[in-house]
Amino acid sequence: MDADDAISDGALIDAARQGDGDAAACLYHRHIDRVHRICYRIVLDRSQVADCVQEVWFKVFRSLGRFQCDNSFTTWLNSVAANTAIDYYRKWKRNGRHVGIEDVSAERLPAEAPVDGRQLDNAAMQRRIHEALQEITVNQRTAFVLRYFEQMSPSEIAKVLGCREGTVRTHIQRCLLALRARLTDKAITRGAVK
Amino acid sequence: MSNPRFSLEEFNTLFPDKFASREEMLKEYNAFLLVLEQLDQAPVPELSMRRRAEIFRRSWPAQSQRSTWTWSPLAFWKRPAVTFALGLALGCALMLGITKAQPQPPHPIPVEETFAVERTQHMETYSGKVLQELYPKIENPTMVVEKTQESSPPRRVLHGTLDNGKIQVLWNL
Repeated sequence: MDADDAISDGALIDAARQGDGDAAACLYHRHIDRVHRICYRIVLDRSQVADCVQEVWFKVFRSLGRFQCDNSFTTWLNSVAANTAIDYYRKWKRNGRHVGIEDVSAERLPAEAPVDGRQLDNAAMQRRIHEALQEITVNQRTAFVLRYFEQMSPSEIAKVLGCREGTVRTHIQRCLLALRARLTDKAITRGAVK
Repeated sequence: MSNPRFSLEEFNTLFPDKFASREEMLKEYNAFLLVLEQLDQAPVPELSMRRRAEIFRRSWPAQSQRSTWTWSPLAFWKRPAVTFALGLALGCALMLGITKAQPQPPHPIPVEETFAVERTQHMETYSGKVLQELYPKIENPTMVVEKTQESSPPRRVLHGTLDNGKIQVLWNL
């Protein structure tokens, strides 16, 4: 176990509140991957995700003083990340700089990786996931991401999104249906992906 | 086939009473599990180490971070609400200074208090404080200027009383 891992989030937060940059860096490196994952899956654009992640950490470091250590830091961080990503996505879309489905096409994706049968299948699958996730609303997408990738409960997600648990379930249901409609196509079978 | 992240129980909660038989339900559940499996295989592009370091450097400005939690006189005055209130107070003080510096006009005495004129076609009657100051011994002095004829010079007569109105004064000026 790394020495940094032995220190709890609470202790790192206390130290960071006192202006300890090393503690802040440790906290940051411990959670950056999760924040990045959440932002990427909500914003859905590689070129925008770094800026979104930066906004999240900017807010996190300035709000640490208000965070209550009795609560889970991970849940709080997920909440900040999800809401920041939702706002970022909406602002970006409103400004007309949103990349359409056709821009994340299969023609573009394979260029980033060696072209063989499996890579093409993966690229096509990526495109379909993108398409499915872009078909639904950002709140539906966020509910799904928090439930299945971050293992948050529907009640926690309801608090993050400021809605009822029933609404969260509806969001997840619609997201699953959209994904299934795209991904169970004959072109992409389980065997082809593997 | 099962997935701890997406249990059959949760599937039933999300899609209640949608299937005619248990076999059909299990078939659909497995189809959704395949979807989740495919999602798990979709990679999330990684952030480079350089980008990670840059994000931390930009989002953790240590100097301003300290001032957020530790009170300092400078930080207090930098707060927008304090700056706004200070600006408002300074503006008010400045306006007060400007308005006080301007010379105040003497308190105007209403014209009717000093002098009153009643005009008719051939006669003008003057009254007021000016006449009282001119003839302090006469009570309620009024001066009547009249022309008996159009071409004749105006005749000035001072009317008033003395000794609490016992004596009426008519004085040709």
